[in-house]
Amino acid sequence: MKHLFCTAFFISLWSPLVQAQSAPTPPGYQDHAQLSARLKTLASRSGNAATVESIGKSLSGKDIWLLTLGRGKATAKPALLLVAGIDGSHLAGTEMAVELAEKLLSSTSDSIRRVLDTKTIYVLPLVSPDAQAQAFAKLRFERTGNARDTDDDRDGRLNEDPFDDLNRDGQITQVRIEDPTGQYVPSKDDARVLVKADPAKGETGRYLVLSEGVDADKDGQFNEDGEGGVAPDKNFTFDYPFFTPGSGEMPVSEPENRALLDFLAKSPNVYAVLTFGPYNNLSEAPKFDRSKTAKRIITGLLEKDATVGEQVSKLYNAQTSLKDAPAQPATKGNFAQTAYYHHGRFSFSTPGWWAPKAVSAPPARRDSSNTSTKPGLAVKGGDDNEDVRFLKWADANGLTNVYVNWTPVDHPDFPGRKAEVGGLVPFARQNPPVRFLADNVQKHVQFMTALAGRMPQIEIVNVRSESLGSNLHRITAQVVNRGLLPTGSDMGDRVRWVPKMKVELKLADKQSVVSGRRIMLRGPMAAGETMDVTFLVSGSGRVTLEAGNAMTGINQQEINLK
Amino acid sequence: MKHILLITFSLFALTAVAQKQPAKTDDPGGLKAIGSPVNPKVPMRWNHYNDYGMITKFCQDLAKAYPDLVKLESMGKSYQGRDIWVLTITDTKTGNPARKPGFYIDGNIHSNEIQGSEVAMYTAWYLAESFADEPYIRELLKDRVFYITPTINPDAREDFVKNPNNSNSPRSGMMPLDDDGDGQVDEDKYDDLDKDGNIVQMRRKSPLGRWNVDPSDPTRMVPAKPDEPGTYELLGYEGEDNDGDGLVNEDVVGQYDPNRDWGWGWQPDYIQRGALYYPGTLPETQAVKKFVMSHPNIAGAQSYHNYGGMFLRGPGSEEDVPYYTPGDIAVYDVIGKVGEKMIPGYRYLTIYKDLYTVYGGEIDWFSLGRGVFTFSTELMTSYKLFNQKSDENRFQNDEFNQFDKYLLLKDAYVPWKAYNHPQFGDIEIGGPKKNYIRNHPGFMLEEDAHRNMAFTLFHADNMPMLVVQNIETKALANGLTEITATVQNQRVIPTHSSHDVKYRIERPDRISLKGATALAGMLVDNDDLGITREQKNNPSTIDVPNIPGMGYVKVRWLVKGKPGKVTVDVDSQKGGIASKTMD
Repeated sequence: MKHLFCTAFFISLWSPLVQAQSAPTPPGYQDHAQLSARLKTLASRSGNAATVESIGKSLSGKDIWLLTLGRGKATAKPALLLVAGIDGSHLAGTEMAVELAEKLLSSTSDSIRRVLDTKTIYVLPLVSPDAQAQAFAKLRFERTGNARDTDDDRDGRLNEDPFDDLNRDGQITQVRIEDPTGQYVPSKDDARVLVKADPAKGETGRYLVLSEGVDADKDGQFNEDGEGGVAPDKNFTFDYPFFTPGSGEMPVSEPENRALLDFLAKSPNVYAVLTFGPYNNLSEAPKFDRSKTAKRIITGLLEKDATVGEQVSKLYNAQTSLKDAPAQPATKGNFAQTAYYHHGRFSFSTPGWWAPKAVSAPPARRDSSNTSTKPGLAVKGGDDNEDVRFLKWADANGLTNVYVNWTPVDHPDFPGRKAEVGGLVPFARQNPPVRFLADNVQKHVQFMTALAGRMPQIEIVNVRSESLGSNLHRITAQVVNRGLLPTGSDMGDRVRWVPKMKVELKLADKQSVVSGRRIMLRGPMAAGETMDVTFLVSGSGRVTLEAGNAMTGINQQEINLK
Repeated sequence: MKHILLITFSLFALTAVAQKQPAKTDDPGGLKAIGSPVNPKVPMRWNHYNDYGMITKFCQDLAKAYPDLVKLESMGKSYQGRDIWVLTITDTKTGNPARKPGFYIDGNIHSNEIQGSEVAMYTAWYLAESFADEPYIRELLKDRVFYITPTINPDAREDFVKNPNNSNSPRSGMMPLDDDGDGQVDEDKYDDLDKDGNIVQMRRKSPLGRWNVDPSDPTRMVPAKPDEPGTYELLGYEGEDNDGDGLVNEDVVGQYDPNRDWGWGWQPDYIQRGALYYPGTLPETQAVKKFVMSHPNIAGAQSYHNYGGMFLRGPGSEEDVPYYTPGDIAVYDVIGKVGEKMIPGYRYLTIYKDLYTVYGGEIDWFSLGRGVFTFSTELMTSYKLFNQKSDENRFQNDEFNQFDKYLLLKDAYVPWKAYNHPQFGDIEIGGPKKNYIRNHPGFMLEEDAHRNMAFTLFHADNMPMLVVQNIETKALANGLTEITATVQNQRVIPTHSSHDVKYRIERPDRISLKGATALAGMLVDNDDLGITREQKNNPSTIDVPNIPGMGYVKVRWLVKGKPGKVTVDVDSQKGGIASKTMD
């Protein structure tokens, strides 16, 4: 009682102050507790179409939720896996993943209903809840690491040089100091944004730009070792960036990473993975590069898989009609690439939302232009800089809490100098107010539905059984992939844990195969590819021909031998 | 003459020391054989192989017999739930064990390579049982701590020892996996057709065969010459087609390789056969990893394998060549070359170059992931049979058969005998027993255990040994005093490998001044020429990236006035601690 009273008192005394100091997190986003409640509600109201369970806990003990969508036995159906929030600062990915699930469940469209009947959609909306919590903490900064204590600069001292909230606004932005050694100048397109001076354009630098904080350990580096943690999306096995801040002491050292990979290992029905995260391989598919596949350690898409990537990229652009996606290359040790290179699944990744380019200038002006420049290009100045582009969009939409104006502070490391705090608000650029996501969610629902509709479909056709006399029968049949995508990736054919395409003739007592292999395992079948099978069976009665695997579903035909 | 006198004197001195130690038990009688513990408290035979229960009992007995030297703990559980025992061996009466440079030893990561456990156990036993009598061991345990893990694959060791196997099975652990992709796990294992505990070869008399019996040795099959007919077909290891898929023994226990499960340079199974889902999939790997991460004092390590008589260093793959610098290789060379002298027939080699490519192997994780100088030793070599190098590899020469005939008196082979096989019909089964070829015959085990122990003790002795060599003061103008400390590493291994320095794996060493307030502190690059680098923050504790092997570093402080009694403390994770006080 006393405790409760104390707490109440504390809150009443301090909360107005705290509120006054903090700028809000981008509006509409939910922390782990709210999200947990939302997912449970979603599952409980879904009828039998959704379940929620935990596949493990983050380092700090927060559940990593798995939402399983679809009717019927989930593990018996081919699946797509949607992953979000591996980069904990990408709040929009998590929100979009949950909204996407909500939309799928509430939809009345036939095509979505068919997806839920024939496929399983796994959704992991928040793989890195520890990092995401920083968006709701008293001091907000774009954190990607979990709750592990990390010595980011590897000097044996823990968190000795963290960020400092110099202007006490509850968030970490930047510091700029006017200095002759500075390399930054205000952008010509938007003076709020600082860009590197380009000597080739006759520019000389004016500002030093640092993160918001002091050099607490006086080593000349600013904020190089604060609370950081290990970033799950730098801790996977492919192209693992060893001994870099946030990557951990070794690959897959973190419970979040283990939980995700263990789930994948237990789920051979996962045909493809879609990640909402910074990496973008959907708006433009990576090209096939033979030199990257010829080495012992393969670092480029295999040729057939690159073709599939292009096919899916086209599908993505057509279904979402989203334009001007930022080209964001894969970071080292990320999940999306590991899912393909080390776990053999088709793997696609998109930020899901990005600030659209500003509306083009009036056509009249373009028409009067006599240059050979393509329409639109001439007037989109500054859009190449993501910050400028974002601010333009934010201005157009009347968003106010996205930028902190440069305001002077006393900076102890630069006594008597002009130091200012300001810049983009953390989280703002990747995470618009939630109301702006709905349209993109709908577009990704369409993409997911279209992708599911193109997944491989194994059928056994043209089955014939001939009697050769004396209870000897010849069975011939064709197995065909009637889907629009191959039965698996070519990489998956190399990965031991990805199921092979399997054709099996199941026999009863007193039946035996006298020619042909009763069980056949093979690599992926392309879209439309056919495989002829033939068996000589001694015996009579019913036999069953099966074809497929966990990723394609299994098709069966019963054959009566007379 | 002087020399002899000296020896006499030192012998006398040692005797005096030995007499001061409490006698272990009653007079053993007889005469101590030089170099072997006499009348041990934990009596052991070193001419046989131990099952898991015996290993457990040995560890418990040793800890009980030497509570001041030996501590037993479990570093975690295996896949099937067995404790992975680790013995911590040091003189607990002198110094803090956690701050002494540590030497880690494990064996048996490949379960059929069992004698690594006995070599590790012998080492633990020898250290504990010799402590009272041997000054060298006493010194070693005063300054160093040993972490000895006889087996890091106890499940499959037990399977190898207790169940029918051949000399190559299982290399894996016991986690069941679907090897043939048919959706069933471990459904077509070897079958001990004659129930003798060994999985041997199957052969069938056939005019179509391309093999013959060696005319000079009935245990041995030789390929028929290209222009002559054969009399036998070889049908592989003892087994049946248990699952009716037309294949024999295609889905046995496991199969994976625990030595491809480590967090450096890991690659998936299609690049590195035997790898699992990710490094550290196995509970055994996780347990070792956790133990090593929580013992940053580990500065040297040894992993025991068989076969081939090789002291192996990394890298396991050519891609990692750049991470082994000439400086680090020079350290390996010193130890490896002494090893070649210590164990005739053993060679000092580099894995990727001289053996084969290994991605995600244990010793690369120790070396490159943790900066620990590590050897992996392939125990046993055919050289040991007749103390000569054979011309051909072990599959093409008859030395093992000859050795069996003359030295083992025909204990090593199961003679061919008839068997009626459900798929192959009338066949014969026979061949080397599971504990032959790769594992030492009994009478050779103790000797090789001792020689290998001596190699690891040499390695362990060369872990960093830090001393504050001297502290000098010099009065400067304006009432300042300059204090310069020289810290020496008296052994070959540096406190940080150069790979470690480059990637800052372990924190820098710290040299601190106590008893005076430092106004400024600096690293002395060249004392004679007065070249120094100031450390602006926290000047009383200078961070030093490395203290080189058989080398030194100098640090300097500027203090106000004339200091009184000052102390210089050295604190290194891998190098331990040292201190000196100057009045």
